[in-house]
Amino acid sequence: MSKIVEISPTTRHEGHSKLVLKVDDAGIIERGDWLSITPVRGVEKLAINKTMDQVPKIASRVCGICPIAHTLAGIESMEGSIRCEIPTDAKLLRTVLQCANRLHSIALHNILILPDFYIPGTDTKINPFTPEEPVRSVAKRIQRLREIGQTVGEIAGGECIHPSNPRVGGMYKACTSRAVTKMYDLAKEGLVLAHEQMDFMLAVINNMKKRDWVEVGGKQIPLPKTLGYHNQGVMAAHPVYASTNLDEHPGWDPKRWTDVRPWDWYMGEGETSLADPSYPIGGTSPVGIKVNPQMEACTGVPLYDGAPVEVGPRARLVTFKKFDEKGTWGQHIARQLEYTDSLYTMINALDEYNPAGKVLADHIPQGDGSMGWAANEAPRGTDVHLAKVKDGRVLWYEMLVPTTWNFPTCSRALTGAPWQVAELVVRGYDPCVSCATHMIVIDEDKRIVAQKLIQ
Amino acid sequence: MLYPEIVVAGCGNPLFADDGFGPAVIEELLRLDLPDNIKVLDAGLGGPHFIFTLLDPEITKRLIIIDIADFGAEPGDIDIFTVEELPAGSYRDIHSWDLTEPLQRLKDVIDITVIGCQPGKVTAPEFELGLTDEVQNAIPGTVRLILELIGVDYGTAIKNLRKEGHQRDTDGETCAGES
Repeated sequence: MSKIVEISPTTRHEGHSKLVLKVDDAGIIERGDWLSITPVRGVEKLAINKTMDQVPKIASRVCGICPIAHTLAGIESMEGSIRCEIPTDAKLLRTVLQCANRLHSIALHNILILPDFYIPGTDTKINPFTPEEPVRSVAKRIQRLREIGQTVGEIAGGECIHPSNPRVGGMYKACTSRAVTKMYDLAKEGLVLAHEQMDFMLAVINNMKKRDWVEVGGKQIPLPKTLGYHNQGVMAAHPVYASTNLDEHPGWDPKRWTDVRPWDWYMGEGETSLADPSYPIGGTSPVGIKVNPQMEACTGVPLYDGAPVEVGPRARLVTFKKFDEKGTWGQHIARQLEYTDSLYTMINALDEYNPAGKVLADHIPQGDGSMGWAANEAPRGTDVHLAKVKDGRVLWYEMLVPTTWNFPTCSRALTGAPWQVAELVVRGYDPCVSCATHMIVIDEDKRIVAQKLIQ
Repeated sequence: MLYPEIVVAGCGNPLFADDGFGPAVIEELLRLDLPDNIKVLDAGLGGPHFIFTLLDPEITKRLIIIDIADFGAEPGDIDIFTVEELPAGSYRDIHSWDLTEPLQRLKDVIDITVIGCQPGKVTAPEFELGLTDEVQNAIPGTVRLILELIGVDYGTAIKNLRKEGHQRDTDGETCAGES
C-alpha cells in the first residue's frame, strides 16, 4: 500500500520548496510532487504603469541569485515591445555580462552539490570546506572562478550583483580598452581554471554514475541508473545568450506556451504516513501531517506545446549540441560543459568588441503597446519576460522563469527513485524557487489561481 | 580586486518598502568619491551568495552591513550591532549545505559591523515601492555614521549632516580630522 512522505523544506537551493512523495512498500516513489511554498508575490501587477526603465530594475529584485538574468531579460522584453535594435557593441557587453553570470553560477552550484558526491575510489563524501587536500585546492579554484565571474560582471555590467550599466536601448557606458584588457586577462585565467574544474567535476560525476548506493541519514540507499529520467521535452531559446521577438529566427514562440493551474497538475489532499527522523537536517515531516499540493503549490504550471518541459544546461546542450545524456547526472555533466562554453563566448565577444563603438541606440522608441518578449538563457534555464510598452510606460508584464518551467518536469522525474534520493534529483535543476513564485494571484474567494497569461 | 580592505554592503529588498533601506543608503554612498580601499555595493538579497561567502580575510579586514533591524525603537532610529547580537538565521546562505551562517564563519577573522535601522513598514510578501518618511530621513545620518566608521571626512557636507541630528554621536565633539 502506498505511503506519503514529506520533505519540507528542501535544502541547498534558493527559496522555500518541499517534496510530497507517494511511495510503495519498498520506498520507491510512485508519484512525486515538488512544489514551491514561497509566499506568492505580484511583480506583474507592480510593473503596470511604471516606466520601461524602472520595470527591469524591479524584476531584478525578485530574488537574490538571478538579478543579472532578470535585468537583461526585462530590458530586452521592453526593447522587443518598442522595437528597439541596440548597437552591436552594447550587445557584446551584455553577452560578456551574461557569461560572467553563468560562470559564477556554475561555480556556486559546485559548492552546493559537492557534499552529495564521493571522492572517486572511496566511500568518503566531499566536504568542500575541509582544509585537507585535494579538496582544499578545488575549493580555492571554485572561489577564484566565482571572483572572476563577479569581477568581469562588474566591469561590463557596472555592479556585480544588480548590474547598473544595461539600459533600455543599450548600455549607459562603454568599456575602455583598459577595461577590456582586464576582462580578457581574467577570462584567460578563468579558462585554464574552468578546464581543470570541469575535468574534476566530470570525474566526480562519472564516479557517481557507477555507484550502486549513496549514504543518506546513515543508511545505504540504492542509486538507480536512471535517476532523474523523465519523458518530458526540453526547451532552450539560444545556446548561450538569448532570443527575442526582434530576431529573424526567434528561438522561442509565445504561441506554443500555455499555462494550467496547480490543481490540474499536483496531487490532492493526503496525510503523511511515513516518517524518518534520521533524514538529514531535522528529518522528514512527522506522520499525520495534512498535505495538499494542489492548494499549496505557489506557481502556475507552464506548458510548451501542451506539456511541461525541462530548461537549463542539459536542455541547451540537447537542443543545440546533440547532447544525449539524460537524468540528474546528465544535467550535472551539461552544467560543467558550460564552464568553458561561457568563457570561450566571453573571450570571443571581447575580441569583437570595439571600445570606441556606440553602446546606445540613436533613437529609442517609446512603444505603441505591441507585445515583445525576451527569452534569456539564464544559468538555470530559459527566463522569459514579456512586455507591452506604450508611451514609455508598461501596460503589461510577465515573467516565466526557469524554475517555474522545471517544477512539473522535475516532479515527474522523481518516479522510480527511492524517496531518500529525491533531493538529489531536485538539485540537478539548481532551483531558484523565489523567482518562480510570482506567477499566480489570489482571486476574490481567496483561492490561488494561475494568472491568465496571454490575453 | 573584487572585495578590498573595507566592504560596505547594503542589504534588503526595495520591493518590500523599508526593506530597501540598505540599497538606498548605498545609492547615496555611491555619489561620493571614496578611497580605493573601500567598496560600496548594493547587495540586494544577494549578500550571502555573492559577498559573504567570497570574502578573503587576508584582504578584507572590515565588513559593514546596512540593513533594517527590529530592535523595538522608533521607525528611523539607527543602531549598531555585532554578529553575536543578530538573531539566528540572519544572512543565512541557503546555498550552504549545513545552513551555517556565513557571518558566523567570518566574524572572528573580519571586523563586522551591522548598522540597523528600525523600519516603519515592511510589506513582505506583498510588493510596495518606497521608504517611509522616517526611514528615508535616516539615510543622511547613516551615511555620516558609515563615513565616520571608515575614517572618511567630507568637511562641509558632514557639518551639514550633523545639523540634522541623525548621527550616533551627538555630544558635540568635532569629527575626526575637523578643526
